[in-house]
Amino acid sequence: MDKIVKPGIKGGVAFAVLLVVLTVVLLAAGCERGVDDGRVTLRFVTWKPNIPEVWDEIYRSFEAENPDIRLVREIGPHSSTAFHDLLTQKLKNRSKDVDVFLMDVIWPSEFAAAGWAMPLDDLFPPSEQAGFLRGTIMANTYRGKIYGVPLFIDSGMLFYRKDLLQRYGFSPPETWQEMVRQAEVIVGGEKGRGVEIYGFSGQFKQYEGLVCDMMEYILSNGGTLLDHAAGRCGLAEGPSVEAVRFVRDEIIGRIAPRGVLTYQEPESLDLFIQGKAVFHRNWPYAWRVSNDPSKSKIAGKVGISRLPHFPGGRSYSTLGGWQVGISSFSGKKETAWRFVSFLTSERIQKLIALRAGKAPTRTALYEDREILKANPQFSEMKDVFLTAYPRPTTPLYPALSNVLQRYFSKVISDPGSEIEREAGAACEEIERILALER
Amino acid sequence: MKRVITRLAFYTVTGVVVFMSLLPFLWFLDTSLKTELEITAIPPVLLPSGTLHFYRSAIERYDLLHFVRNSAIVAGATTVATILISSFAGYALARLRIRYKGLIMGALLLVSMFPQISIAGPVWRIMQSLGWLNSYQGLIIPYVTLTLPLGVWILTSFFNELPRELEKAARVDGCSHMQTLFRIMVPIAAPGVFTAAILVFIYAWNEFFFALLIMTQKRFQTLPVGIALFQGEYTLPWGEIAAASTVATVPLVLLVFLFQRRIVRGLSAGAVKG
Amino acid sequence: MTGVRLSLLTRERIFGVVLLVPCFLFVAVFAFYPILYSFYLSLHRIILGLPRLGEPFVGLTNYRDLLHDRIALHALGNTFAFVFISTFFEILLGLAIALVINRHFRGRGLVRAAILVPWAIPTVVSSQMWRFIFNDKYGLLNFLLYGSQTSSYVAWLADPAYAFTAIVAADVWKTSSFAGLLILAGLQVIPDELYDAARIDGASAWQQFLRITLPLIRPALLVALLFRTMDAFRVFDLVFVMTQGGPADSTNVLQFYGYKKIFAEGLMGYGSTISVLVFLVTFVVSLLYIRVVGRRFLQEMG
Repeated sequence: MDKIVKPGIKGGVAFAVLLVVLTVVLLAAGCERGVDDGRVTLRFVTWKPNIPEVWDEIYRSFEAENPDIRLVREIGPHSSTAFHDLLTQKLKNRSKDVDVFLMDVIWPSEFAAAGWAMPLDDLFPPSEQAGFLRGTIMANTYRGKIYGVPLFIDSGMLFYRKDLLQRYGFSPPETWQEMVRQAEVIVGGEKGRGVEIYGFSGQFKQYEGLVCDMMEYILSNGGTLLDHAAGRCGLAEGPSVEAVRFVRDEIIGRIAPRGVLTYQEPESLDLFIQGKAVFHRNWPYAWRVSNDPSKSKIAGKVGISRLPHFPGGRSYSTLGGWQVGISSFSGKKETAWRFVSFLTSERIQKLIALRAGKAPTRTALYEDREILKANPQFSEMKDVFLTAYPRPTTPLYPALSNVLQRYFSKVISDPGSEIEREAGAACEEIERILALER
Repeated sequence: MKRVITRLAFYTVTGVVVFMSLLPFLWFLDTSLKTELEITAIPPVLLPSGTLHFYRSAIERYDLLHFVRNSAIVAGATTVATILISSFAGYALARLRIRYKGLIMGALLLVSMFPQISIAGPVWRIMQSLGWLNSYQGLIIPYVTLTLPLGVWILTSFFNELPRELEKAARVDGCSHMQTLFRIMVPIAAPGVFTAAILVFIYAWNEFFFALLIMTQKRFQTLPVGIALFQGEYTLPWGEIAAASTVATVPLVLLVFLFQRRIVRGLSAGAVKG
Repeated sequence: MTGVRLSLLTRERIFGVVLLVPCFLFVAVFAFYPILYSFYLSLHRIILGLPRLGEPFVGLTNYRDLLHDRIALHALGNTFAFVFISTFFEILLGLAIALVINRHFRGRGLVRAAILVPWAIPTVVSSQMWRFIFNDKYGLLNFLLYGSQTSSYVAWLADPAYAFTAIVAADVWKTSSFAGLLILAGLQVIPDELYDAARIDGASAWQQFLRITLPLIRPALLVALLFRTMDAFRVFDLVFVMTQGGPADSTNVLQFYGYKKIFAEGLMGYGSTISVLVFLVTFVVSLLYIRVVGRRFLQEMG
């Protein structure tokens, strides 16, 4: 009998000791600083920034200027989809732990319809709104009320290898066809020189970014995803189908590595800054990264321009960017607003533009010399921002986006896909989703 | 000759199996000790510079220890609760004359079978209405529910194997049922209890689906959720992911090397005698 | 005399019920009730993003939609394919592993422990590992296959068929050793005398395997099969981390689709039909298994 009992007890003791040690170490290491100093706690849900120092500085100076407020940051994942899932779950839970949050440009109508974001019209009147880029204000408006303050704006841009285009005597492409042609010439020529390079890198994984990229092709061919007002889905129409086919056959089938089907922003940028792609589609932040010699092999060799279009169409960029909103369940509206207006003030937007390379939403900052000096690309981008096109706005956007992601991923990853048929099926689903809203 | 060949085959196959089992883990360990440029080098670099940079970064910038702490709390509490409850149930099912034993065991087996999605929505709503989303109990309770079948099955089979004479003697000596259970049965069944505890602990330490749904605040998130959502703003921090993964895995590797015999026995309890 | 014995039995029964109550409460409230609740939810239209619509009863509308939901049917197909293929390879590989290491040798404990490592690693972690190994540019797999010939590197996760295979491979890696250990436990209770007798009768190794080994490890095999099948239905972490269901929905499985519908899209009513579907499918499959395997279990326990 003893023989059975002993090893068990010994093992049990060892296991218990392991557990206790682990717990003690961790409790000591991960202690929360919970001081009660009479300050109001403001909880801000944000994502992990790529240059955290800048944001840390901003939060510190806010606390310094507002000694009665303690700012607690809740940091979520940046991937828009994952962040959305987490943030909305908090809001569905009517969590009091959220006062202020960041919203992707596609969320305000969803948050407004669900009653999660607080209307800000009394604090953020039209006279104030006039100082912002018009597209960003529209994206924050739902049924005539405003639900967020734009913090910075993103829109799709074309990055290219200045040095390579020069070497082969090209100027930045006006049309997609021209881009493909140039890419093929350069890739061929470089191969002769023993350099391995691809023509293009972009974002084609099955996720939100795919919708952004594909929309740029479709709209620049005169097509449309969705005419919301008319409740009409345009995916199956000629120009849309043609643009999608072009991406499948000419972009992915010819000048981009197949790996782009798994790429989000970081992976696609990696290829570009490793000097392995001639053209690259990304958001403005890529400018800074690709010109940073500590991260990029092509610093100083990067050019930027608006995205190409199809013959007869005009260039379109998907509107991206982030807004600041206040939770309806916060109960600290005034305090929260102090933070929101601080964060979106001219001063802070300028700091973010200078130090993190994010494009401001206040029109006046595009005249600021210092900003333009640090971000020469902004002067080229301003026109793009003024015409950037928002994705469909509907409270059911997540469901809609999932359908679009599936459709695009399906047709571009299979060279033999039947685009018209799939587009028709996707349209049926989209109409079913939109019917839910009515 | 034939003997030599079988021996050779045996050692080769064993070697390959062991190597393949450890390779991904070792590769990630290796990755966690590289520099950023080594990680994304094309083609890959095999040997790391041996820097601990990513561990520091994972701890300082990604709050790694905080996730570890949450995981330890949730997994620890789940283990204690499940073991306590399944000891009761296991004893009753193995030793007492009660009705519908087969039905009870079958129902438990059923619970352990169905995928989490079939209860996820309602569990989420229940926790929401109790205000227990983003709380430790909000996650511990589903974990206890899902690990109970495992615990009860293992403990029932362990109690079944114990000799009945001891109990009889105790009963003759005038012990009550409760006394018999705690004074006699639980100590003797310690190996079984311990085995069940390890398995429950591993389950709770590793679970991802419910953790993802219930812990939406970083303050309460467990290690698997942290590691799955490490991707930053336009960055894919492979170094930190590898470092955190190593930290999450090492305790389990230790458990496995210390207690492999028990684990195997527990896994096959009830399934195969012995 | 009879009266005393009866009351003893009654007391024992009452005590047994008391001991079972906590277990029963947990399972009833957090497992069985939610299943019924899922069914209730699936009969309503509940859109978390549009609370102004309320939660109206819509009868079987959601189920009608489910029948026309190509993606759900596709995910169902993917799930079955995943379950079938991964379980098949896991059992096959597991059997091979078990047969090979079923002998006494020095360091057997260490080998067993090494084999258990994949099983013990959190699935999220192993998913990240495999995602990194399958990386198209700096992944280990490409390096092992093509060395520094980077132009031949394959984007594994970009191709629908490869991506699905990658998920299956990651799962097979993680669990076939576990299946192997279950089978090994079955092998070890076969007495050596049986083989000795067979050898004396002149049976070949193959005959011994067919006539002795296979029939005797059948219960262990079936149990391993049961555990692996039911666990494979749960596949989620791999998909979430490695592919998010893409490319072209080739790795979209029911558990992931349901998660997306209920929690990302907020369609709790419609998403619940997927919960119910998953439950029914696994219920039927597990009943079939339990009919084959379980009777023996229950007899042993009862």
